[in-house]
Amino acid sequence: MVNNGRIRCVGDGSVRSRVARRSFLRATGAGATGVALAGCLGDSDGGDGSVPDTITVGSLGPSDSPLGASIHNSAELAVEEINADGGIAGADVEVSTKDTKDQPSTARDVYKELTTGEDVEATVGIFGSEQLLAIMDDIAQAETVHLTSGAATPEAPALLAEDYEKYRPWFRVGPTNSTFLDDSLVTFASERFDAMGWETVAFIAEDFKWTEPVTDGISQRLSDEANVEVTQVRRVSEGTEDFTPIFEEIENNGVDGVYTALAHIGTTPLVQWAKQQRPFGFGGIHVPTQLPSYYAATEGAAIATFSNTTATPTSEITDKTVPYANAYNEAYDGYPVYSGYSTYDAVYMFKNAVEAAESVATDDVIAELEAASHTGTSGTLEFYGRDQEFPHDVKYGPDLAQGVYFQWQPDEEGNGQQRVIWPDDLQESDYISPPWA
Amino acid sequence: MPTGVGFASYVLVLGALYSLIAIGFTLIFGVGGVLNLAHGALLAVGAYAAVATVSLTDSIVLGAFAALVVPAVASLGLYVGMIRSVRDNPITVLILTLVVAIVTEQVLLQVFGGQELVVRNLVSGEFDVLGGISRHLGVMFVVSWLLIGALFYFVNETRTGRAILATSMSDRGAALVGIDAERVYALTWLLAGGLAGIAGLFLAEFSVAHPFMGRSPLILAFAIVVVGGLGSIRGSVVGAYLISFLDQAMVSFVSERLAGVSALVVLVVVLLVKPEGLFGRELVEE
Amino acid sequence: MAGETERLSWGELLNPLTMGPIQQLGLLGVAGLFVVPVVAPPIRTIQLAGALFFATWVMSWDFVSGYTGEISFGHALFFGVGGYPSGMLNLHLGVDPWIAAPLGALTAAIAGLLIGFPSLRVKGPYFSLITLVAPLIVISVFRFSPDLTGGELGLVSVGRVEKLSAIGPIPSPGIDPFAGYYLALAIFLLSAVVFIAITRADAGVVFTAIRADEVALAATGKNPAKFKLFAFVVSALVGGFAGAMYGHSIGGFSPSELLALVVSIEVIIAAILGGMGTITGAAVGGIVFHMLRVALRNADTVSIPFTGIEVELVIPLLGVPLGEIYLLLFGLVTLGFLFFLPEGIVPRAGAEWRRRRSPEGEAVPDGGETAGVLAVHAWLDELRDLLGGDRR
Repeated sequence: MVNNGRIRCVGDGSVRSRVARRSFLRATGAGATGVALAGCLGDSDGGDGSVPDTITVGSLGPSDSPLGASIHNSAELAVEEINADGGIAGADVEVSTKDTKDQPSTARDVYKELTTGEDVEATVGIFGSEQLLAIMDDIAQAETVHLTSGAATPEAPALLAEDYEKYRPWFRVGPTNSTFLDDSLVTFASERFDAMGWETVAFIAEDFKWTEPVTDGISQRLSDEANVEVTQVRRVSEGTEDFTPIFEEIENNGVDGVYTALAHIGTTPLVQWAKQQRPFGFGGIHVPTQLPSYYAATEGAAIATFSNTTATPTSEITDKTVPYANAYNEAYDGYPVYSGYSTYDAVYMFKNAVEAAESVATDDVIAELEAASHTGTSGTLEFYGRDQEFPHDVKYGPDLAQGVYFQWQPDEEGNGQQRVIWPDDLQESDYISPPWA
Repeated sequence: MPTGVGFASYVLVLGALYSLIAIGFTLIFGVGGVLNLAHGALLAVGAYAAVATVSLTDSIVLGAFAALVVPAVASLGLYVGMIRSVRDNPITVLILTLVVAIVTEQVLLQVFGGQELVVRNLVSGEFDVLGGISRHLGVMFVVSWLLIGALFYFVNETRTGRAILATSMSDRGAALVGIDAERVYALTWLLAGGLAGIAGLFLAEFSVAHPFMGRSPLILAFAIVVVGGLGSIRGSVVGAYLISFLDQAMVSFVSERLAGVSALVVLVVVLLVKPEGLFGRELVEE
Repeated sequence: MAGETERLSWGELLNPLTMGPIQQLGLLGVAGLFVVPVVAPPIRTIQLAGALFFATWVMSWDFVSGYTGEISFGHALFFGVGGYPSGMLNLHLGVDPWIAAPLGALTAAIAGLLIGFPSLRVKGPYFSLITLVAPLIVISVFRFSPDLTGGELGLVSVGRVEKLSAIGPIPSPGIDPFAGYYLALAIFLLSAVVFIAITRADAGVVFTAIRADEVALAATGKNPAKFKLFAFVVSALVGGFAGAMYGHSIGGFSPSELLALVVSIEVIIAAILGGMGTITGAAVGGIVFHMLRVALRNADTVSIPFTGIEVELVIPLLGVPLGEIYLLLFGLVTLGFLFFLPEGIVPRAGAEWRRRRSPEGEAVPDGGETAGVLAVHAWLDELRDLLGGDRR
């Protein structure tokens, strides 16, 4: 009944198929209506296999935060370069940036504005697992390719594993799935802790969804595989403003370092650790300290803290990493955060897929992305297949994408530098202890 | 589990800081009958005034000066420009000050960004005694008590201070003996702003500066002031210590997740059971 | 001032032909809402569905605060306490959303009772403080058990909450945006009818009288306590139901959507802009506020007609796009309203229109300035009592 007429949506979707509308008003059946409307809510070019004159890419992220700004800026930087180089398969590319305000509700609203309202061909970005999970159903419904570049939750590929057909437009370019973070932490510990003098550690994780796969069993793994004694694994809730009692206890236990999994509430513990001059090291996964401006913003409190990250401005993960970081610095007067590297790569991966498919139709692009192997700024990027544990998630591993660990170290002028301390082939410096420890 | 000395010293220091946060709030209410929901935002203004000054002049002493002066002037401006004309309508005042708080937060967010900023300590280093309590916390404690003491002295011993006291008891009576109530109101807003600013600076030094950093201290101020009796300076100090003790006890011995909850619970219980506060309605007299 | 409404019977109230032109305009607006999905682009429909839920919340606030004068600074408590149990029942126990949502509404009604009781004892600003703190306590409690509630990030961080399922031929409001819209519209209209019916009938007179002078009311033999409690329970029930249905259809369950201070404040702002103590003003204020917020968010540039020039909307000194500071702008506009147009847009427009029609002036039927001024005096005296100052 509804499929007897091809449903087309034009422009911002202001003209909808009369067939679709009538079928809705008659309410002839949920499934049929869903199909009819799906055609109007997202990719209007679905199936006809052409490349339009202008391709719009939507960029999602919290504009107020450096993580969101890096997403928006990198999307714009990539698109400028692409346009200067002839566009995507001859088409001009535009970016529509949307501020998610770091809220699930706003993320959902602006995602709909991009897909239903502006009819973009793909979306990139999204920071924060909760924002990503909030739009997963809308991604499925809009049938518009989405390349995540700022949220690490394993729940998203779990949805694909459950229902691949429904959620297939979703891909993740970075950061790597947070279930790999404990691998990363254990590998780093076994290769570096000895030299760092960390024999006894306390593990602090923020009480958020993404740290659950990290804290489950980390104590056992660290002692088995890295031969480290873990005195406690502590999950700290949001809104904790005073870490003094925690540090007091840790210090009394005589640990060498605090190994962390902190993102949303990372700054307060770091600053209190530095100001109280606690006699142990501090680092692990610490998202705020990844910000290139963080050393200056904390007036040097970040000294000697370390974290894993996707890439640093000086780390030559591939021959694209440093040129991108420099171009970004030139354009925006500062270096990008990890979400920037991945967003930049995401836009290029989308470009390559469209050009290989000679089409912007969702399923054509998906097929190309599934087969892609792209040397980006953050490593060699490939996606897991539909039958694997994490469908459409970026592959993790030494020759693929695995990130680096860096440490904030003072340079000759007393400014902070992010120096890579792991892996061996990218290492710029050895770990140094905090000046007071 | 923290040591007894560590616990006691944190209760002492935070109690002084909480008192500082609450006193300005109670002063305005006691004298003018106005609940100033923008009080928390003034804390943030103080912290950011220090941040901006430090980045311009590289001097934390000047920063502390700015943290005192800028919120004081802002507070006075808020009173003269807005609150004065609607002072007699408490609900309008509540809504108005709430909106001012939101606007202030948004301005800070746009000017300084949402990133958490570090404010450098007034002094660095550690005392060797007291189980490694930093010198900075000692300074916080001493300065807070100096300010509180100065306020006590000012209110009880000076002519202008007594005028404040008189106005808080009866503005008509005060008018009869020739006190210009309008000047007194303006003065309390100025004082409250300055105290809030210094409290904001200390708070930011203790953790970080953030546009929304004033929200939980505002609730804290409510709780303290309600416990101590709205309008009572002495009650506020006692309330501050009570809540700082409860809070530290909960955080240290039960769970850090309970930070701030005790203040909220105490607030509601006192409002329901003994709305006049533990110290009654004694205003600022001693 | 309320005498006029009291005399009208239900039949008269509901007959479009005998209604005043303003009411007829309202009916026209409602009719307009029905045809929006047919004429407007789909994205507008989706946005307007959000606006209708928001407007329902604004009405639920206005029902209590605009009428009884007990200003609630934390009305989001009811949206959250209605929404969260519903979402959690579905997430953890697998209860169908169509059953869970009314249960959530019931929880909210109980919360209404719990908040309503102190309002009998604790007056004015003190009561406002309790309402301000209550949702913060709930958020703290949620934070304490993130496994159940998702803490600050909402249920989405715990697992997937089901959407309302399709019923017979009607598609699921959680998946089909048009079903979502009509669901929102149904809840909006139902709430509006309930609120308007109560406030325009006897109970409404009592409410307004509570705001004006509780003691005098008690002297007439009516029990103000009973009416106040009733107002809180109904307001919470409706607000909580809307919260639950919102979460299960077009929205989600997170503190930022259902519980946060900013939600409570936005509701107050919208009611002030539309006009407090009118219900209709709140409804209009809510829809306009939400749609303006959406428009501002996307207002990076405006093009000047016929010239083809695009002007970037950027705040001069800061270089900040206009869309990023909607809350700041609304805050400033609200400050302006509080000073220059405290009764809100809808009552002012209505009064203007009536004044032009009949220069000698008619009685203002609902919540005009008189009641407001009376309320102010009542508040003032209460506060003076508390403070021990002189009664003015």
